[in-house]
Amino acid sequence: MPARRALSGTALIGLVAAVIVAVALPVFTSGYVVYIANLLLVFVVLCLGLHIVIGETGQFSMAHAAFYGIGIYASALANRAVDLPYPVAMLFGALVAGAVGLFIGALALRMRDIYLALATFAFGEAMQWVFANWDSVTNGPNGLRISPARFGPIEILSDKQAYPFVLFFCLVMIGLTVAISRSRLGRSFRAVRESEVAAMAMGIDVRRARIVSFGLSAAIAGFAGGMFGLFQTFIHPDSLGFQTTILVLTMVVVGGLGSIAGAIGGAIVFGLISEVLRQAPQYQEIIYGAILILFMMYAPRGLFAFIGDRIREARHGR
Amino acid sequence: MVAENMAAETAAPFLDVEGLTIRFGGLTAVGGLDMAVAKGSIHALIGPNGAGKSTTFNCISRFYTPSEGRITYDGRDITRMPAREMAGLGIARSFQNLELFGELTVFENVLIGAHVHAGRSWRDAISARPRGIVEHVDELLERTGLTSYAQTKARNLDFGHQKMVEIARALAIRPKLLLLDEPAAGLRNREIAALDRLLCELRERDGLTILLVEHVMQLVMSISDRITVLSFGTKIAEGTAAEVRANPAVIEAYLGREAAHEAAHA
Repeated sequence: MPARRALSGTALIGLVAAVIVAVALPVFTSGYVVYIANLLLVFVVLCLGLHIVIGETGQFSMAHAAFYGIGIYASALANRAVDLPYPVAMLFGALVAGAVGLFIGALALRMRDIYLALATFAFGEAMQWVFANWDSVTNGPNGLRISPARFGPIEILSDKQAYPFVLFFCLVMIGLTVAISRSRLGRSFRAVRESEVAAMAMGIDVRRARIVSFGLSAAIAGFAGGMFGLFQTFIHPDSLGFQTTILVLTMVVVGGLGSIAGAIGGAIVFGLISEVLRQAPQYQEIIYGAILILFMMYAPRGLFAFIGDRIREARHGR
Repeated sequence: MVAENMAAETAAPFLDVEGLTIRFGGLTAVGGLDMAVAKGSIHALIGPNGAGKSTTFNCISRFYTPSEGRITYDGRDITRMPAREMAGLGIARSFQNLELFGELTVFENVLIGAHVHAGRSWRDAISARPRGIVEHVDELLERTGLTSYAQTKARNLDFGHQKMVEIARALAIRPKLLLLDEPAAGLRNREIAALDRLLCELRERDGLTILLVEHVMQLVMSISDRITVLSFGTKIAEGTAAEVRANPAVIEAYLGREAAHEAAHA
């Protein structure tokens, strides 16, 4: 089976180790560490969403935080309005974000590259303004309290309680993204990224592929918003601005644009780096910037391609 | 019965271009071109640089829309149909300046060529290796000599192999009409010979109709059943290789008036 290359030995060991650490985490660590883990898993899903539109389809979407925010508000409001199991509210959040994403995708059809980046950036800014000023729905600049998530009789009141659910939903989203990427739809996304004219000649509806990729990307970001509501009790519009979009973009690029493993690894590695940097807030921005510049200079294809290349060099004795 | 079919097919050309005119602003790139391509033939469109060959080619593959005229394919008027519907009708094309999916493997490039066939069932649509299609892709890689490059990124191949990926990908559409835009340009002699063999095989074994725009006369003269010669956007000659080669208008268009005069008196 030439197209499905088996996992290499080291990658498999790494994967197994990661799963053990992930599952055992709440047993031997503090609530704070679990909180960070929850947050990282949400960022993994955000990165998966951005991977679909930028990594697979090559379309610059700079409004990821807006779709994330729509997911957070929509699922929190749905959860408050009706007494249904929380996953229903999460799906509602994903659907609303996805629908807005489809709409933005349709509007964005006429634009590409830097123009598309600017237009989506503008949409993201507008959405943040809506979050901050639509008082009757979002409670405006005071932020919105998120009521605890409920799975039947279980009510989630702590980070440790939420963790297994967050992990589960994250794994589901990873599986979904892999399935999309491997499918005919995923191939049409990559065809559009590589050459729109050739994609057209192969019978691919380029417009449809672009719109659908925006919609899927936004729906996944919206779902991440629902995951956020699993362990968070409060959302404030300040955290849904351009910095968050740039943070997710940085994760995807640092991990390696165009690869799912890169999106996941980038979220975890860069998420941990920013957590460590929190200890030295006065240097945080500078170190952030320095890391990005170094990556762009020495590892433009991302962390994992960089490590892979070094391993290959070591094996061949240079 | 075979004879009857053939008679019916020769009566109506498989691809019929009538009065094709393409203007860009005030410039007429092609003016009133008529061209009929017979089913199961290799038809070449040649002419000096700027004659309007590629413009015509892009009109037939629906990347440009003509100002006037009509294009009929297999009895269907395709003059104003969108380009993306061509693959579904069985019309495949290659690109002169290569439009490969560079970051993807050769296998995936050709698999994407089969896009219109990969969505027949839900199972096929979600599969990374849809049944029946993967086998066809492997066969095409074999026929185009690309099997050992299946897992190579297309952009890492040399030019000759990249050109073959273009053709393999077009063939994955399972076309009835194959449009090739300068498939031999930039190829070495050995590669041109392989292309020559492949195209003849596609005509003989697969019954494909092929229209090619080409500058490499070695290939054109060897494989074409019929040749249309364009110069400054109008047809100046049409016929078999021998007829075209002997036509003074063609010699003049390519080599200038004096050469044509000399040739006539040689």
